[in-house]
Amino acid sequence: MDQLRSVCRQAISENKAAFIIGYTEDKHHHLKPFIAHNVEETEKLTFNCNAVNNLAVFIHRFHNPSQGKIGIVLKPCDLKAINALVQENRVKREDLYVIGVNCSGVVKDQNKEFSKENTQIKCRSCASKTPAWFDVVVGESAEFELPEDDMAILMKQIDEMTPEQRLEFWNAEFEKCLKCYACREVCPMCYCEQCIADKTEPRWIESSSTTRANFTWNMIRAFHQAGRCIGCGECDRVCPADIPLSLLNRKMGMVAFKEFGYRHGTDMNAPTLIGTFSTSDHEEFIR
Amino acid sequence: MKLMKIEKGNLSKLMEHLKKDNFRVIGVTPDGKRFSEKFDETLNFMQSDTPPTSISFKEHFFLKTEALFYYKNNNGAIDLKEPVIDERKTVVIGARPCDTASLPILSKVFNWDYADDFFNRRVENSIIIGMKCNYQDDYCFCNEVGLSQNSEKGSDIFLIPDGDAFIAKTITDKGNKFIEEFAIFFEEYTGNPPAENKNGHDEKKFDYESVKKWLDNNFEHKFWDEAGETCLSCGQCAFVCPTCHCFDIVDEQCGTCAGVRAKNWDACQFSLFTKHASGHNPRDSREKRYRQRISHKFKYYNDKFSEILCTGCGRCSRGCPVSTDILELLEEIDQIAHSTTN
Repeated sequence: MDQLRSVCRQAISENKAAFIIGYTEDKHHHLKPFIAHNVEETEKLTFNCNAVNNLAVFIHRFHNPSQGKIGIVLKPCDLKAINALVQENRVKREDLYVIGVNCSGVVKDQNKEFSKENTQIKCRSCASKTPAWFDVVVGESAEFELPEDDMAILMKQIDEMTPEQRLEFWNAEFEKCLKCYACREVCPMCYCEQCIADKTEPRWIESSSTTRANFTWNMIRAFHQAGRCIGCGECDRVCPADIPLSLLNRKMGMVAFKEFGYRHGTDMNAPTLIGTFSTSDHEEFIR
Repeated sequence: MKLMKIEKGNLSKLMEHLKKDNFRVIGVTPDGKRFSEKFDETLNFMQSDTPPTSISFKEHFFLKTEALFYYKNNNGAIDLKEPVIDERKTVVIGARPCDTASLPILSKVFNWDYADDFFNRRVENSIIIGMKCNYQDDYCFCNEVGLSQNSEKGSDIFLIPDGDAFIAKTITDKGNKFIEEFAIFFEEYTGNPPAENKNGHDEKKFDYESVKKWLDNNFEHKFWDEAGETCLSCGQCAFVCPTCHCFDIVDEQCGTCAGVRAKNWDACQFSLFTKHASGHNPRDSREKRYRQRISHKFKYYNDKFSEILCTGCGRCSRGCPVSTDILELLEEIDQIAHSTTN
């Protein structure tokens, strides 16, 4: 990882970036997000198959153009979040110094070695091992064997259910929800200044954690992510109740692609789906 | 204290019997994640060397949402209705010392200026069957907070694995009565008494007293800026924790012209947690909120109730979305404390 440290060191010393959002290794040999504020701290930066977090979420917190550019370490999949945030005018491309990393997949469980079974769900449908764009790129990507896409299998099962069965499935899942909002906080696309779940006058979403109120929260979040989710799977990863949250967003994304030929986060210059109206838009599916 | 023995097969039968007898039996789910009435009936979770569940059993005593009362507009008058509480006798099985200890700890705050009838009734109505723990990973620190893998705190009956059976040690009168009532499932224990309850290892990962002393004097310190820097302000840590107990009281709609006053879990990492009606928020940054979390657990609660608000289970660290490790931070505080005194 000398290469990564060296480009990060250079980025700060040559004023290409004010600080670097990257990963560091903790005592468990797991990787966790880390902010390197100066040249000395870049020594703590590293990258390997344990780099599961999508660091794009930190852009919202540290975005202050007057301080200089944000240096950020991004995997090819996480770069889609940056594209999407540029598309949504949340951040400007020129305010970022992107350190792209070639990726060979990341693990599901950091306590275990990387293997076919031990890969993040998002890796199972990933086709981009090299970042689409960057200011500087580091690392090598290696081919790795992809296991079956569990989420795709589950999605197929749900598609085949009757609406009643589907409701039963989701009610059982949402009953488990603790309303800890880890799904929202870890999501790079959840950046509202005030989330609808936190609005108290009026209170749109009940704060109680009943099955009904949990259903409302999770469905509203899915609606707000419709055609916006970039599929990093962070919500799935962090859910303490193991609710397959990304399934909803993935389904919405598939509908957006089927009906409008649109995939969010693939082109930072493309107009957004929700922000664009065209007279040729399909309407038949709206009921 | 009395020592009995129960075969694993008999323990299964006892649980089956209790369910038929209209007990609320709570054990660990087949995925090992949580305590639930839908537990793994093979009792596969009764192994002492597996990690603790991801979510503590707190949710069965201090509910994530609890109706305090219901109200309805009745032509200008208000009709009030008491909530119906599940009054079934409860048996919790498979809880480790880092779970069971949470009940006496929580009991202090729930019986301080106001006795929380909901929590108290549930605890009184329950038999807690704790189990010796033989699991230890880099996130565990029960020894450092005054507990141990043998700690019987909060248990009514404490099980110690003994081959294909368990030595059942009665801890409370409630536990004793329970064993007498269901004596047919137990047998006399004739072996040697289990090893003395040695409280903790000799070598500690951090010294609680030094951490406490440091917290007493360092409300303002640059350590806090770094500790909470990558915190996302979600409530994962608080909600999986066996001892976090903050709640919010809300009025919400429940039917037509009717509502419910509910007590819901809240978390000190949420940005709304201390937001005043004026708009002012005394804990307006993640760093301040993270300081609150550590200080409440390891200083304020001890100052007020002479208990550490932590059982060292490590759940918050194992599940943290950004891998913040509370033990690592406590070790760091311990180091800072020592380096400044020396």
